[in-house]
Amino acid sequence: MIARSLKWSRHNLFAKPFDVLLSLTVIPGVLWLIWQIAGWALTVAQWDIIPQSLRVLMIGIFPVDQAWRTWVAAMIIAALLGAALGCVFAFRGRHAGGLLLVVAVALVLTGTKGLANILCVAALVALFGLSWALISRVPAARRGLVPASFVGLIAIFAVMAPPGAGLWGGLLLSILLTLVTAVVTLPIGILLAFGRRSRFSSVRWICTAYIEVMRSVPLIMVVYWIWILMPVLTPQLNLADVVRGMIGFTLFYSAYVAEYVRSGLQAVPRGQTEAARSLGMSEFDINRSIVLPQALRVVVPPLVGNVLDIFNTAPLVFIIGLTDFLRAGQMILANPQYGDRTYEVYSFLFLTYFLVGSLITFVARKLEKHLARGSR
Amino acid sequence: MTVQTQANVAGNVADDDLPARRRRNRIRYNATQSAIVAAAIVLVVLFAFAVKEGLARHGIRFSFSFLWDAAGFDISEGKTVALEDGVWPALLNFTSDHLIAQAFVTGIFNTIKVAVLAILLSTVLGTLLGVGRLSTNWVVRNLSFWCVEFVRNTPLLIQLVFWYFAVVLHFPPIAAAAKVYGVVISQQGLYFPVPTWQGGDSVLAIGTATAFWVAILGVLFDRNGTVRWICAGAVLLLGAMMFATGIVGLDLPVASKFQARGGTSMSPEMAALLLAIVVNSASYIAEIVRGAIDALPKGQWEAAASLGLTRRDTVNDIILPQVFRVVLPSFGNQYISLTKNTALGIAIGYPELFNIYGTIANQTGHSLEGIVIVMASYLILSWAISAAVGWADRRMTRHGASR
Repeated sequence: MIARSLKWSRHNLFAKPFDVLLSLTVIPGVLWLIWQIAGWALTVAQWDIIPQSLRVLMIGIFPVDQAWRTWVAAMIIAALLGAALGCVFAFRGRHAGGLLLVVAVALVLTGTKGLANILCVAALVALFGLSWALISRVPAARRGLVPASFVGLIAIFAVMAPPGAGLWGGLLLSILLTLVTAVVTLPIGILLAFGRRSRFSSVRWICTAYIEVMRSVPLIMVVYWIWILMPVLTPQLNLADVVRGMIGFTLFYSAYVAEYVRSGLQAVPRGQTEAARSLGMSEFDINRSIVLPQALRVVVPPLVGNVLDIFNTAPLVFIIGLTDFLRAGQMILANPQYGDRTYEVYSFLFLTYFLVGSLITFVARKLEKHLARGSR
Repeated sequence: MTVQTQANVAGNVADDDLPARRRRNRIRYNATQSAIVAAAIVLVVLFAFAVKEGLARHGIRFSFSFLWDAAGFDISEGKTVALEDGVWPALLNFTSDHLIAQAFVTGIFNTIKVAVLAILLSTVLGTLLGVGRLSTNWVVRNLSFWCVEFVRNTPLLIQLVFWYFAVVLHFPPIAAAAKVYGVVISQQGLYFPVPTWQGGDSVLAIGTATAFWVAILGVLFDRNGTVRWICAGAVLLLGAMMFATGIVGLDLPVASKFQARGGTSMSPEMAALLLAIVVNSASYIAEIVRGAIDALPKGQWEAAASLGLTRRDTVNDIILPQVFRVVLPSFGNQYISLTKNTALGIAIGYPELFNIYGTIANQTGHSLEGIVIVMASYLILSWAISAAVGWADRRMTRHGASR
């Protein structure tokens, strides 16, 4: 054992003089940093602020007596995400163990909040697992997925709307924004991508100009612009800030999705369209049932990465006065009572973002491997 | 599924019919084309009309004349183009009696300032991290991996506010500022030493300085490798000479109780924005570099090893030159997105273009006209970056091909 570890460290840490130098400076530095952080986290930090303000972090300033609406919305989201996962990865026994672990962690976080919350968390995870298992075991259920996701999104809006869309906030808002943007940009992006290689030069021009302009301006500007433009254009409609933000995100990310899809379209060999044409299929049918399925297959991993991008830019809605996850954390810190808890709150925010982001990256990488297998 | 019954197969059609069909197809194509153009124009006109109506309802007229009004607000940092003594255009500090157009110029100046610095620093840091991810040293490899993963999987905005509120604003106050190699680090900002011109107008001094700059141009632009090395040597030699003879002095910042004097300063907002953007961009660049290294044929490593090159020589002389030729377009995209990311400076109050636009929109109410200007500025910046990267790319490929 000792001999093996010595051999390992000779090969991996002290192979050459330069490596020795590097190891001897970096390892103590890293250890010191870990020691400092661990010491702070275990002794100095006062973590009680996290459970105390968990509700604000999760749902913002949504009224407490209406909180059941957010639970319903969260359950719909969990079911949709589980179903999406089920399309790609089969549900296995060990996954159930992982879900139990998630419940345990959630219980530690919400444990002091009473039985109702514990039941809700358990139901949330159970729903996620159930829809995952259902979709992966019953392939026929996948046909209903696209309509179901639209119905689900509308249901979320219907459930959440009554107390006022201005009250949406916290992590729930970030996730909702990401979900809506990801779902709505897909059809628009596909249309734009096809428009960019249309037979008609005018369509090509318009789509190219749209995509290129959107890709060279900052998202924060687009969101702000849509936010001030909407009331000017449609004064009678009186859209909520949240909806205007979603429109801004959608317009911006459509251009990115279009570029991903276009790269996928280019990856489809010419022979495919030529073969379909020689069979006498119409252009529309060729695109819909020959080109698009093959193109989408290639671009699924980058599109999942795009979802991560959307989630990571969701905090930009602060510019139009919305309280997303990050802003909720800052709101807590603005309370003078909690002024000295900066590092605790930021650690929690960073950790949550990192967990969600790593999960999405992990899924994207798995997908890449999964899809590459077939095309060998 | 509809099957085209009248397939465009020449054999099915009588020969005299073909020109007529071609003409018909062409006319149909042109008609559709014109209809689309007309529809687009109508849409744009309708849109413009609706905007004008909506603005009129609020009592605002769409016009750019507000650009020539006095600004009436101050900007904490940044230069603008103004006529010095009413004669020569020069870079001056912005004051509230300047025009609004000049405020926009200040914003563009600040954006470019951060973007250029961030591009330089993040390229260096990103390449180091990317090479670090392929290091033979286990600790370095994993450390680079986790740093890159962490930064890429968390939002830039939270990184930015963390750097600002939790790091830069927790620097010591200026009275107790930390000093590292002449750099003063404090809450009020960072202060760097700068070289200053002490040579007056003596011919020898000006001649040396001119030779110095010519040598730098030679390092950057000369095609001949040997000449570039000679120029680099000349740069070092002339630089050292100028310091030694006192033609160029060093202006060190000195911190007193309330402020620091001398040197050049960087506001805390700019320091935080720069840190956040450099670290963020560097991890994306690291990923690009790693991807490109992974994509190189294994034979390159093996051939270098069989020639007896050390790993460091292999990386420096075999791998990286090839990698840089491949990654430049991706670097260009990253530089563009980095420039766009500077717009987040509004979250911490750094006066870049978007932040100044926000102030102007609040003060004058001309938010839509302002958006047109901001959008055009970002478009031009993006095009400039992609043109520069395209130029470098062509230059590099040509060199590679001739070698």
